Amino acid sequence: MSMLAFELERPRDLASAVESLGRHGSRAMLKAGGTDVIVWMHKHAVQPEVLVDLSEVPELGGISFYPHRGIKIGAMATVNQVGTHEDARVHYGALVDACLSHSDPLIRNKATVVGNVCAAVPSGDLIPAFSVYEAVMHVYGPGGERDIAFADFITGPRKNSLAPGEIVVSATLPMPSGRSAACYIKLGRRNALDLAQVGVACLAMQGSKGAEYRLAYGAVSPRPVRAAEAEDILAGSESPDEALLDRAAKAAAAAVNPITDVRAGREYRLSMVEELTRRAVSICAERLTGRESR
Amino acid sequence: MKRDVNFILNGRPVTLSVEPRTTLLRALREYGVTSVKRGCEEGECGTCTLVIDDLAQKSCMVLALEVEGKSVLTVEGLVAPNGDLHPLQQAFVEEGAIQCGFCTPGMIMTAYAFLRKNPDPTEAEVREALAGNLCRCTGYIPIFRAVMKAAKTMRELGSHPGAAR
Ligand SMILES: Cc1cc2nc3c(=O)[nH]c(=O)nc-3n(C[C@H](O)[C@H](O)[C@H](O)COP(=O)(O)OP(=O)(O)OC[C@H]3O[C@@H](n4cnc5c(N)ncnc54)[C@H](O)[C@@H]3O)c2cc1C
Ligand code: FES
Ligand code: FES
Repeated sequence: MSMLAFELERPRDLASAVESLGRHGSRAMLKAGGTDVIVWMHKHAVQPEVLVDLSEVPELGGISFYPHRGIKIGAMATVNQVGTHEDARVHYGALVDACLSHSDPLIRNKATVVGNVCAAVPSGDLIPAFSVYEAVMHVYGPGGERDIAFADFITGPRKNSLAPGEIVVSATLPMPSGRSAACYIKLGRRNALDLAQVGVACLAMQGSKGAEYRLAYGAVSPRPVRAAEAEDILAGSESPDEALLDRAAKAAAAAVNPITDVRAGREYRLSMVEELTRRAVSICAERLTGRESR
Repeated sequence: MKRDVNFILNGRPVTLSVEPRTTLLRALREYGVTSVKRGCEEGECGTCTLVIDDLAQKSCMVLALEVEGKSVLTVEGLVAPNGDLHPLQQAFVEEGAIQCGFCTPGMIMTAYAFLRKNPDPTEAEVREALAGNLCRCTGYIPIFRAVMKAAKTMRELGSHPGAAR
């Protein structure tokens, strides 16, 4: 199918982008990399009359790292730029793993990290990483600037809590406290170009009360989920044994609510949540006690 | 409504008149650049791959108006003015990396952008770099061999033909 006709606006600064969105209201849609939007328009799943392209807005580019505060990812930063960023590689293992598991090396030159999160597709690979790092979304719109905690950002499949006319300018992933280790494990049917059937992000941090864990899941619930009970079970344990891993894995499976779809069944997804939880926690615990900090 | 887009195509400035919904893939094919192949038009197959400002991109995922002021390179731009093939093209011919040829331009442009960043890759790195380009014919092995061979030739030449374009 071909895309239906639309007008394209390419604002040169953030104020004009917000102005554009405001002027066209619900007839307009934002485009960052466009790898979701163009596919949706081809399928006529969305039919905006005006597409507001953010790719020429200078305020939205770039990735910056502030040692105590964390990494700030501009809305136009591509998945490849984030995945190969030196500070991300050192301090944000789950973020980098998620970037490198996304699509293929070519799409990653176009797709943005923030666009992935804004699209709010449940299988979005960056979503579990944003959950475990407790990202903060920096937003600009008709009412000025505001921050949205990531836990409040995604409200359902393809739904986020942006008000009409608002644009995500960047997202900050706060620096994990103390020594840390993190990973993202994606289960797909093949290596490249597959959406996640299940995705698990784990972050382990060395705190004053021993190890602290955060676990988040993709593709297994309409909204991003943290497995709070599993995190409590693991808290304080530097090298969790099989029994503890099993308890945590069961608690994680109880926290999610997968559906059956063309990519996998509910029962399969539940057993994979357990298995991947055990694996991800073990990997992080080993890295935390070893020399590697990632 | 049609609008003009100005960019550099294989070293020469061009102006095309396009609708906002026209992808770079469709605009170039209409202009006569038929090396960019129309496969899935969903970003999956890689047959439409070209290089924009040094990055390999799937041109079905790019609106033509997005390349305003940018530099676009397709396989046509890899051929020397005297008609000599680029070492990558030569290696694809020599290694039997082409059967039906539908995936070839995309493979070559992906490999071209990759080798500029990583002139001395391992075969595993070549495989990873080409993960977004599908081939139904060759089974990939001759393609990986061709890219490794071209990398070697290019290192020996000590230069990167086509780099200035
Ligand atoms: C071949 C192919 C393979 C893919 N593989 C994967 C995969 O493995 N994993 C995965 O998770 N996804 C995958 N995707 C989906 C897509 O690439 C990602 O979701 C991508 O990261 C989206 O980023 P984008 O910049 O292209 O978003 P766009 O398409 O530009 O935008 C996506 C959505 O977010 C909104 N938006 C974008 N930026 C902003 C902003 N700054 N403020 C407010 N709203 C905004 C848009 O309005 C739109 O609704 C794939 C897509 C293709 C075509
Ligand atoms: S035609 Fe562009 S990726 Fe298939
Ligand atoms: S040679 Fe036919 S698809 Fe690759």
